[in-house]
Amino acid sequence: MDLTPLAAGLAMGLGAIGPGIGLGIAVSKAMEALGRNPEASGAIFVPYILGIALAEAIGIYALVVSLIILFT
Amino acid sequence: MPDEGGSLIHVRIDAEPLFSVGPLTVTNSMVGAVVTSLILLLVAWYVTRRSTLVPSRLQTAVEFPIEWIGNIVEGTGGTRWRSFAPLVISIFLFVLFANWLGLLPGVGTIGLFEQEHGEQVLVPFVRSASADLNFTLGLAIVSFFAFIGFGVKANGVKGYLKHTFVANPAYMTPIMTPIHLISELSRLISLSMRLFGNVFAGEVLLATMLALVPLIVPIAFLGLELVFGFVQALVFALLTMTYVILAIAENEQHGTAELEDSTHDHPGDEPDRHAAPQGTAA
Repeated sequence: MDLTPLAAGLAMGLGAIGPGIGLGIAVSKAMEALGRNPEASGAIFVPYILGIALAEAIGIYALVVSLIILFT
Repeated sequence: MPDEGGSLIHVRIDAEPLFSVGPLTVTNSMVGAVVTSLILLLVAWYVTRRSTLVPSRLQTAVEFPIEWIGNIVEGTGGTRWRSFAPLVISIFLFVLFANWLGLLPGVGTIGLFEQEHGEQVLVPFVRSASADLNFTLGLAIVSFFAFIGFGVKANGVKGYLKHTFVANPAYMTPIMTPIHLISELSRLISLSMRLFGNVFAGEVLLATMLALVPLIVPIAFLGLELVFGFVQALVFALLTMTYVILAIAENEQHGTAELEDSTHDHPGDEPDRHAAPQGTAA
């Protein structure tokens, strides 16, 4: 029995938990800040995008690992 | 298609070779990169040739992303922002159009059938350049050497090495140097893997959705990919900008070399940059 697809799915699924939580926190905090102070949207924007990118990178690592499992 | 079901979704992680010129094998993602560059070059050539003080519609559309990213760089980049703003804007536009090229109809669907492991496989002529790790890694290497170069230019070789590798209490240096080294090198990996992973996952997602529900539903995912392509281009450009700013480090102790005006690095397009404040960035 070939378990390779299961391994790839598990790698992606488990690896997406952490970044998912992190992204949720980041977005909720950004929205909160925006709600409190709508004029700060310009100042929030760049750090927000960068933070999201850094959190998302972890999920992308999981994707790359699962792709490597799947295709090699 | 040879058979139904699983093999309907066929995505290759590496770019398919089309033909080879001597030792150089030309893949379809290289064609995609060339097409992207040609689009950008032709639009830039056409617009700058007939640019006017009161911009036409096309000129406004072309100037908008340049001004927008330029304002972001100006707001966060410190006194030397003019020297690296062109790099950030170019990376943004190039990655943006490389991402969006993969969403055009015909890209990835027009090609030749080839035999591979006994089954017929479509080899498309053009593939989105950023769905190939070679392209994103190449861009990440450009960004890597760019921030090292700007750091060296701003602080000198000695100053840059000192700023990067010597920790603040000097006795911590033996512990911190390997960490710094790894963190600098991991930027290369995370920059390239992030862009590649996002765009490639987007292609897989679109292929899967097209195979599952061929009608209507993929439109929503095409819209999603439009947004993702834009966000990833922005992320790549802004991370490059952040790395350059960190390497220049003009807010830290050595603030000597900063008042020499760096306008000579500027290519001299977009004359009307001074107007909008940072608050318009969102």
